[in-house]
Amino acid sequence: LPYVPHVHPMALPGKVTATTFALERPRCVFDRHADASDAVWLAVAFANASATFRNPRSRADVPPYKQLLTTRSYMTLETAAAAYSCSAPTPPVLRVGGDTACRDQGRQDPCNGPLPSPGPYRVKFLLMGCRGPKAETLWSDPILLRTALSPSTIDPAPSRRGSDVVVIASILASLGAVLATAVLGALGAKVWGSLCHQDLGTDAFTRRSYRTHHIPPALPHSLPPSCGCSPPGLCRSAPQPPAPCQRI
Amino acid sequence: MAKSEDCVHILQGLLVFGNVVIGMCGIALTAECIYFVSNPHGVYPLLKATENNDIYAAAWIGIFVGLALFALSILGIIGVIKASRTLLLVYIILMLITFAFEMASCITAATHRDSVTPQLFLKQMLERYQKSEPANDIEVTKTWDELMLQNHCCGVLGPSDWQEYTSAFRLTHSDADYPWPRKCCVLDAQGLPVNLDGCKLGVPGYYNSNGCYDAISGPVNTHAWGVAWFGFAILCWTFCVLLGTMFYWSGIEY
Repeated sequence: LPYVPHVHPMALPGKVTATTFALERPRCVFDRHADASDAVWLAVAFANASATFRNPRSRADVPPYKQLLTTRSYMTLETAAAAYSCSAPTPPVLRVGGDTACRDQGRQDPCNGPLPSPGPYRVKFLLMGCRGPKAETLWSDPILLRTALSPSTIDPAPSRRGSDVVVIASILASLGAVLATAVLGALGAKVWGSLCHQDLGTDAFTRRSYRTHHIPPALPHSLPPSCGCSPPGLCRSAPQPPAPCQRI
Repeated sequence: MAKSEDCVHILQGLLVFGNVVIGMCGIALTAECIYFVSNPHGVYPLLKATENNDIYAAAWIGIFVGLALFALSILGIIGVIKASRTLLLVYIILMLITFAFEMASCITAATHRDSVTPQLFLKQMLERYQKSEPANDIEVTKTWDELMLQNHCCGVLGPSDWQEYTSAFRLTHSDADYPWPRKCCVLDAQGLPVNLDGCKLGVPGYYNSNGCYDAISGPVNTHAWGVAWFGFAILCWTFCVLLGTMFYWSGIEY
């Protein structure tokens, strides 16, 4: 028969997995040759063993699933020929390797067990009657199954450092440095000024401090003879006339 | 003279206004960080499993920094109005300490947001989902199951994650029966797949084809940027207020 089996053309992510693959169900292919009692088998063989595959003479000679690794081929998916006719309303996909129960229980019936290795495999359909094979399709192209990688090959590190991190870190670091410098500078200036009693403040500051505290300046005779450090503000303002204070 | 008195009052007014804004932002920061720490989207177990939960540490710091900012802003307002050198000195020093903590929180949140990549979650999912021996992988499994159920997604980038890589899941579930977990299938009201064969093959409509990475990275991004950028804005404002306060403090004389 001139039909070539092939993997289903639709883009399904489960079309080909590590142990199964999905073929497009052939329709109207066997109608001319099939009787009601005939069965259609699927022969699966390793791609390099497909040339040496011989069709079985009868149903008893059908190579079972268990012999796949030794004889490098087997036949499965025995279905009535009527299921492949033009009028059959069946799902369009044939999944090879989907039956894990028959692999574990080791039944002798045709077993659609999972495929043990990634292949590549070739398949063909075989129409078997009561007296032997009646028709067959061509061999398919080699079908290679998936091989999974180990998750240790995944590298979770980010590819590049984001620019946002750099911006935030640099701006914050500079702000912090400026603040620290300003505090140290202000504290140091105050400590130095109070120790060395020099006129550090401007007039504006001094006047402002008077207004803020509403403290009238002390009379000159009550000042200590030396400009000590308590309180430094009054000490500094002694030589100035009390004129600004009278405006309070 | 009146002009400098006005200047003083303007400076006081500005500082009080600045501290009021700091206080309100502190409360907002605390509220935002409490919201993030309460784990509304359920991704915290995944982050914890990747040992990458410093974003949560940054949020915890943010809660306390926010409360500290609120308290210090009240102290600052009192200090400015009373023009007390001691109060303002205490205010400046404590604000600097708070500034340093908030700086650490922002930089931590921004850095760890960067290290959240799809590959990080992919590796964790493949190695730990449905792994039977260590007890803490039950958390990872439950979190992934809930994530996939609620967001109708599968894997990190898609169901093909389970096909491209071997995994702990693959050790206990055969590839032919479970090309991907059952939670990736469209489930009916009883929690059973609507069409199991359709799901195994990947027929559209019977399985969830999009990955869960968007559902994970969306909340993590919002969380990290909320902590990092809002904290950054507060710090810029605090910087200006602190400079003004130091200028004011240096002008106060006893």
